[in-house]
Amino acid sequence: MIKLNSKFSQKIPFFFLYAATILTIIPVITIIFVIIKNGLSAINWEFLTSMPRDGMRAGGIFPAILGTFFIILLTIIFVFPIGICAAIYLNEYAKNNLLTRVINLAIINLAGIPSVVYGLFGLGVFVIFFKLGVSVVSGALTLSIMELPVVITTTRSALNSVPYSFREASLSLGISRWLTIRHIVLPNAVPGILTGSILSIARISGETAPVLFTASALYVSYLPHSMFDQVMILPYHLYVISTQVPNVRKDMIYATAFVLLILVLGISCIAIVARIYFKRRKKW
Amino acid sequence: MVNNKIEVKNFNCYYNHDHILKSLNINIIQNEILTIIGPANSGKTTFLKALNRMNDLNITYSYKGEIFLDKNSIFSMNMEKLRQRIGILFAIPLPLPMSIYENIVYAPKCLKIVNKKQDQDILVERSLKNAFLWNEVKDRLNLSAMKISGGQQQRLCIARTLAMNPEVILFDEPCSGLDHISTEKIETLMTELKYKYTILLVTNNVKQASRVGDKTAFFLNGELIEINQTDKFFISPKNKQTENYITGRYIIS
Repeated sequence: MIKLNSKFSQKIPFFFLYAATILTIIPVITIIFVIIKNGLSAINWEFLTSMPRDGMRAGGIFPAILGTFFIILLTIIFVFPIGICAAIYLNEYAKNNLLTRVINLAIINLAGIPSVVYGLFGLGVFVIFFKLGVSVVSGALTLSIMELPVVITTTRSALNSVPYSFREASLSLGISRWLTIRHIVLPNAVPGILTGSILSIARISGETAPVLFTASALYVSYLPHSMFDQVMILPYHLYVISTQVPNVRKDMIYATAFVLLILVLGISCIAIVARIYFKRRKKW
Repeated sequence: MVNNKIEVKNFNCYYNHDHILKSLNINIIQNEILTIIGPANSGKTTFLKALNRMNDLNITYSYKGEIFLDKNSIFSMNMEKLRQRIGILFAIPLPLPMSIYENIVYAPKCLKIVNKKQDQDILVERSLKNAFLWNEVKDRLNLSAMKISGGQQQRLCIARTLAMNPEVILFDEPCSGLDHISTEKIETLMTELKYKYTILLVTNNVKQASRVGDKTAFFLNGELIEINQTDKFFISPKNKQTENYITGRYIIS
């Protein structure tokens, strides 16, 4: 057997670990670089704030940006109250019985369902059965159901990270379970809940499949004015102009991708800033 | 007049199927310090936590028998009310992640006992003075309670319990992690507090029991082996096992 000298045997694992790290960031940097290089020239005020013209070959993407925001907003309104309440119940109150175990199993499995299945489910239930039509509300409800397990899981881990001894100390003073949760557990879990939630917003803002059948339209000539309207959304609009409409200028496609990217990255950045802010304030 | 504050009648309790406390009968007299000694795993802490029902947080816990506080069964009382009347101090100081000031006013504020800022200031000062901590922290009441020393944290926890004005205070090895100066402070504090409160002290330190207890009880494997006035308990123990334990010859058989 060849005996490697110790300096060399240190360098081999270091090289592979380093190479693996570089490999993971190369695609990300390439994507961002290509999109910026090709798309930045088409970004201007008019592109961001006007309606599409000439069969989406000219004009702007304003309705798609607005539609995306509209859906995200409604999803937030649906998913966070329910998800956070369910997580509090599961983490703080639920006894470890058969029902709880079944619920836990369901949450794990829900997170593993492909998003297009959620899309079809939303089409069947919200669009057709509840007669909500292809609309913002159907899309938001579909996204909510898809995002619910994620929100519940991140909230639970945030609640779990609050030491049990804090609850014990509060309960031992004769404070009820609810007041303990309200005054001790939640304030200390908020940073985790918030960052987890913002990241899940970033995730849903780029989703296409769940809203494809439930909310989005190829082209809408007016801006949405109620939550029962069909809307254009950024990811689907990007798909349409890059594959369905002939002769769209390349820089417009990349510019649309750029806006979507900035939207998702921007939301993630808020989560990062929030995390840094709360870490500084952490008291234990 | 001797007044029984707490009466434990034929009390048994279990974790899963482990029989932890076996047919316990104890009377705890008002304004006295009862110290409980015994080897590890003899059910001392479980007994304390049974008295203010902190054990009930564990779902595998079950009990049989009765405990009375002022002649009323603690099991028919509102659990929060019970814990307000019987405060507990844990072996490890458990300050809440907030300032010293907020730690004291936390529970009274939650329960809307004090509302005005003025009353809160008075309560904080009084509680900290009663816990002999006021002079050390009076200039930094807004400092996080996580940043003071262990001995100070433990006295802060005592002050926090005192702020609720309980009737009984349970001390579960309050000095286990502290140096002898902090220990002495807490021991002095306990002997002061007994004029207002009824005190139970679980300790691993036999000498501490002989210093502060009015009465001393010896637990072994979940059974009460002996209970007596502290001086009699240490000078002439009736039971052979007690004698072995307090003289340091205890061997698990």
